[in-house]
Amino acid sequence: MVELQNVSVTYSSGVDALNNVSLKINDGDFAFVVGSSGAGKSTMIKLLLKEIDATSGVVTVNGYNLNKLKKRKIPEFRRTLGFVFQDFRLIPSMTVYENIAFVLRVIDAPVKYIRKRVPYVISLVGLHAKTNSYPDELSGGEKQRVAIARALVNDPQLIIADEPTGNIDPELSYEIVELLKGINDQGTTILMVTHEHDLVRHFGGRIINITDGEIVFDEVISGVTDEPLPEEELAQTMAEAAGGQAQAPSPVTSTEDALIDEVIAALTGADQGGAE
Amino acid sequence: MKLSGFKYLADQGVENIWKNKMMAFATFCVLLISLLLVGSSVLFYLNMNSMILGLGNQNEIAIYLDPETAQEDVDAFGEKLKSLENINTVDYISKEQAYESMQDQISRGKAIFDYIDGYDFMPDGFNATVINNDTIEDTVAQISQMEHVESVSSMPQVAEFLRELRRVVTIIAVAIIIALAAVSMIMISNTTKASVFARREEIQIMKYVGATNAFIRMPFFVEGMVTGFFAGAGAFFITWAVYRSVYRILTEQGMLMRAFGIGSIIPFDNIRLYVAFAYLLAGALIGALGSVVSTRRHLDV
Ligand SMILES: Nc1ncnc2c1ncn2[C@@H]1O[C@H](COP(=O)(O)OP(=O)(O)OP(=O)(O)O)[C@@H](O)[C@H]1O
Ligand SMILES: [Mg+2]
Repeated sequence: MVELQNVSVTYSSGVDALNNVSLKINDGDFAFVVGSSGAGKSTMIKLLLKEIDATSGVVTVNGYNLNKLKKRKIPEFRRTLGFVFQDFRLIPSMTVYENIAFVLRVIDAPVKYIRKRVPYVISLVGLHAKTNSYPDELSGGEKQRVAIARALVNDPQLIIADEPTGNIDPELSYEIVELLKGINDQGTTILMVTHEHDLVRHFGGRIINITDGEIVFDEVISGVTDEPLPEEELAQTMAEAAGGQAQAPSPVTSTEDALIDEVIAALTGADQGGAE
Repeated sequence: MKLSGFKYLADQGVENIWKNKMMAFATFCVLLISLLLVGSSVLFYLNMNSMILGLGNQNEIAIYLDPETAQEDVDAFGEKLKSLENINTVDYISKEQAYESMQDQISRGKAIFDYIDGYDFMPDGFNATVINNDTIEDTVAQISQMEHVESVSSMPQVAEFLRELRRVVTIIAVAIIIALAAVSMIMISNTTKASVFARREEIQIMKYVGATNAFIRMPFFVEGMVTGFFAGAGAFFITWAVYRSVYRILTEQGMLMRAFGIGSIIPFDNIRLYVAFAYLLAGALIGALGSVVSTRRHLDV
């Protein structure tokens, strides 16, 4: 569970990155956070990881009041969540297996458990064949799947993903989100920041738009489909993405259509330097 | 912490050393030199103490009279000596006894005595002990004023000299130890900084996944400790080799040693275990502490 109550963040440089933001994400939710570059999305993520503190307001994550969290309690808190970043943050000198096992070693898990758990999460993300490869030997999508396996390995209540698809080919982005959706189906709360509107449109769900440090849109919309796209339809979506202003395909009702248009307008209007 | 976890962290610490070979080596050298200097100061100090202790009991004054003094004057002098305030016992050493004891001491040069006719050239002497050691200097002065006296000497002069020397050495040793401790700490701090830098990505990720501060520091702790331990071992072997040769040289100079009353240099074998233990412990401790102190500064954890 994530809750922000009237949270503002002002960096020491004087930038107001978040301005009186209130937000609640319930256990088991899947939420996309969208917004233009510099809107304050990563600031919100850093807040939730307790990398930075709120200038004002109350931040609660997984039952921890982060305003009051003592420094030495931070490790305990962070063990209740997983993270996935755009730049993967894998340790280059470690194999896929070691990168994931590392997390369990850090929390002092029994060796027997590590030996069972790590291969299991590696197979969940479909990288069994790459178990002993080094990050340099993997594609971007594969690296991100390793990062997701790492986020999963200690069975967190919440996974926070800041642009997990930002450095990956668009078609592979779908796989990554599918993977996160699958994890969400098992009950893990997922908060994912993204620039890719096609992803948001395709999967739907709760969409939170941050613009200039404020939440300007927070609604649940249904996706184009909840099933994985057939290959050709995926290709068509790609083509539309490449073409820019794509129209939402048919199985969407007109009210939802309007909502999506609203979101897309908000996205494309503000987002000049986005990841497209 | 479980044993497996500890093994993992210990491995990481050793890997750190390998990753920063040059820095680790530099730290090793500085620690080695520091330990050697401190160790030799301490050993020097201990030996001097042992010598002072050996001399301390010798509250004796050796008095030699003019060889020309007549026997009745010698006897009278003995009586007069006994009546002095601070004098406890008086032993008469005749010309003959002095001659014999000299022959014993110069056993290797016996041939010299073939050229010497009789022992009349030897002085009559007295060994007197004093009641109060503290005023021995005054007593010596008093005796030297007496008739027929050629020379008076007391061993405590040597002891006094050694005491003074010990004081100076103590001051110098303390200064050396402080300076070296500072240099060692700076070196270890820099090595730690370098290995923190080499592992910064890992450390960042560790923090994200909820590693405790102790866990993050442990490899650096091990790194410092292992480096310090090896420096201690190196210092021990160097000390061993040097001490033994110095000891051999000094004991071969038997005459010189006896002249100074130095019979009490400590043989290395008697203290080998203590020295080894002290070096290893000091090395490991300084290394470990240095890295802990500096991770606190460089790690912001
Ligand atoms: N450490 C910092 N110190 C000062 N200002 C910062 C810092 N980090 C971010 N900012 C500023 O805060 C604002 C919000 O930044 P943030 O990184 O949250 O944006 P974002 O929404 O994640 O953007 P993007 O989509 O490009 O990642 C920006 O104006 C940024 O320049
Ligand atoms: Mg960002």
